[in-house]
Amino acid sequence: MDLPLLSALFVTFALTLYVMLDGFDLGVGILLLLQPTKNSRDHMVDSITPTWDGNETWIIMAAITLFAAFPAAYSILLPALYVPVIIMLLSLGLRGVSFEFRVQTIKHRRKWDMAFAAGSLVAALMQGVIVGAVMQGVRIDGTRFSGSVLDVFKSLPLISGVALATGYTVLGAGWLILKSNASVQHFAIRGLRVASPLFALLFGAACIYAVNIQPGIRSAWGSHPIALACLVGLFAVCAGMLALVPMKTVPVAPFVFGLLLFVDCLAGIALIVFPDIVPFRVSLWEAASSSVSQQFVLIGAVCVTPVVLGYSAFAYWIFRGRTPEEGWGE
Amino acid sequence: MKLDPSLLARIQFAFTVSFHIIFPTMSIGLASFLAVIEALWLKTKDPLYLQIYKFWLSIFAMGFGIGVVTGIVLSFEFGLAFARFAEMAGPAIGPMIALEVLTAFFLEAGFLGIMLFGLHRVGPKLHFFATCMVAVGTLISASWILSANSWMQTPSGVAIHDGRLTVVSWRDVIVNPSWLYRLPHMVTAAYLTASFLVAGVGAWYLLKGKHLQFARRTVALGTAFATVLIAGQVFIGDLVYGTMLKHQPSKMQAAEGFWEKKSQSPAPYYWIIVPDQPNQRNRLAVGIPYLGSIWLTHSLRGRVEGLQNTPRDRQPRMGMVFYAFRIMYGLAIVMFAIGVASLWLRLNGRLFSSRRFLWVLVLMTPSGVIATLAGWYVAETGRQPWVIYGILRVADAISPVPATTLLSSLVGFICIYAVFITAFLTFTIRLIRRGPAGAPPHAEASGSLKNAFRPHVLDKPIRITIGVD
Repeated sequence: MDLPLLSALFVTFALTLYVMLDGFDLGVGILLLLQPTKNSRDHMVDSITPTWDGNETWIIMAAITLFAAFPAAYSILLPALYVPVIIMLLSLGLRGVSFEFRVQTIKHRRKWDMAFAAGSLVAALMQGVIVGAVMQGVRIDGTRFSGSVLDVFKSLPLISGVALATGYTVLGAGWLILKSNASVQHFAIRGLRVASPLFALLFGAACIYAVNIQPGIRSAWGSHPIALACLVGLFAVCAGMLALVPMKTVPVAPFVFGLLLFVDCLAGIALIVFPDIVPFRVSLWEAASSSVSQQFVLIGAVCVTPVVLGYSAFAYWIFRGRTPEEGWGE
Repeated sequence: MKLDPSLLARIQFAFTVSFHIIFPTMSIGLASFLAVIEALWLKTKDPLYLQIYKFWLSIFAMGFGIGVVTGIVLSFEFGLAFARFAEMAGPAIGPMIALEVLTAFFLEAGFLGIMLFGLHRVGPKLHFFATCMVAVGTLISASWILSANSWMQTPSGVAIHDGRLTVVSWRDVIVNPSWLYRLPHMVTAAYLTASFLVAGVGAWYLLKGKHLQFARRTVALGTAFATVLIAGQVFIGDLVYGTMLKHQPSKMQAAEGFWEKKSQSPAPYYWIIVPDQPNQRNRLAVGIPYLGSIWLTHSLRGRVEGLQNTPRDRQPRMGMVFYAFRIMYGLAIVMFAIGVASLWLRLNGRLFSSRRFLWVLVLMTPSGVIATLAGWYVAETGRQPWVIYGILRVADAISPVPATTLLSSLVGFICIYAVFITAFLTFTIRLIRRGPAGAPPHAEASGSLKNAFRPHVLDKPIRITIGVD
């Protein structure tokens, strides 16, 4: 069996779940910046409080699987992405502790809310920068990163940073439309009306720009023209549905189409990057650790992931329905 | 001055990991403490236990939150600043940490929400199950991470060809020579930390004459746990000492403060030294005569092996290891004395009235955290100059990242973590000042799994507002 391929699929799976789940958490955080009313901010944070921790864990899963199964790729990519990864970690930290600290104070709650929102926004921007930097390609020499840590701050990473933050806002708004009270729902619908066309536009711009600067992406279009064209088509359909669907009567629709939009984008990126793990430089077989290490991770993943998905779903089920006005209790 | 990237990378890792470990140490201890308290509540239906649970839950929640976000940093830091280490050690410790994420992090995260916000939604029994799952999660997490760290201390089960490491036996990697000793050492340390936290806060209330019922119960429980645990810890610590002496002698040589291959006879037990590493001697050494021979060789005149038994280029810095070890060991002696004193006072019925003893408990509130940190400093500085003992040196493990970038990120971490610790201490002290809120008028011990599937029956939740100013 092709173990590195299976490990790469598991990394992709973890990353997809991260983007889908923490994506809406970060989106709710970004929308907090625009929400002037204290009660509504409380309500927005309440909607994600019981489940955010599990959502964020998927990024550790993805990073550590990369570390275990593709140590050579991990040791090239992380130094190359040093600056955005550090900024992302600090921002995620600020966002994470704000969950606990904001409820401890009424006087300073607004400050913690702003820390929460800024943390979410910057983390989302940096994740986009990371995607853009990986797609523009990193310089390597043998098995070592040989570029400058500031290579990441070029046009493509910056466009994709803004695009991803906007995309997460779409997910966050979709989540709030599904989970919150009437006034926050109204606020989220207005947010979505602005964010979704903006995201489509920015993502399109990033794609066109990427094709122009990275020959690897052009050759991927050459080898899978039909599949990639289908994904572009699906993207257009989802973006169109987000504009057209009646949000008040079918409150689940914007969230579902938002998620589909992201799955579609990730599928496109996976198709372009495959079979590399450091895009356009190192293939996943070249970077793979020995099969003993792969087996250990994969057996663990196959046995435990269904259980994890089971109780995570149970936690969502416990906190299902619209978020109570007065929070979740103690 | 020219900045050294290797030194900055080490300072950054030392800072972030030291800051991090404070919070899991408290979380591991408090999670099990909360599980015990909730079990007592379910069994006795005494609302006092629910009050204790809710009070410590709010502190646990904050600590847990900081632990999570500072822990994420570490999983990236292997690659960020120690790329060569990541490349080499990835095949061995990567899979272990991956399993930690799968079996522990998700478990904690999945049930934490229910533990914090779900009592009214799922009823006490399922809620108790959630508390237990969080506690079990912290223990599984400790097991994997101690296994990974112990492998770096006493690596086994791997083969190295052309600088590439492959695992030969997972059993030997996971059950490496020091894991089964260091794991109970750390878990007991975490439990001791929680016991002294709980007892210290209770003692402060007794001294102030406030929340007396709550205070008596927590002082009684905290000192009882601490007494049993410190007795066990002395024994486990001795086993760890013996294991490290066998597998990593340079660490224990540095910890005892002797340089000569064979110390004088009888050997003193040093408490203060001023080591002179370049000349391989102490400028000053103060100790208790005979005690070194008695404790370390179990004879009256035995000689202790000094650091010169290790070649110079493989020696750790003696000062760091020695003083970290003295702080840990000194606190253990004080804890042991407190355990004995608490037994005596308990038998005489003066456990809650001896003001001197209560003041000592208040002073000892953070002792577990300090002792645990000191213990980790022994482990990590004593392993130097290696990152994987005997296999890879720290200096060869560094990423190609410029020193100025490392310095900027270090400053970033210090600033953000300063905010975290300030907020944590401010809010924790405020929660302690305010004291436990009244237990709910009717303890809802009648709920069952049914409620989990019928949220509409959860009419008005009984809100205990702990911690709103």
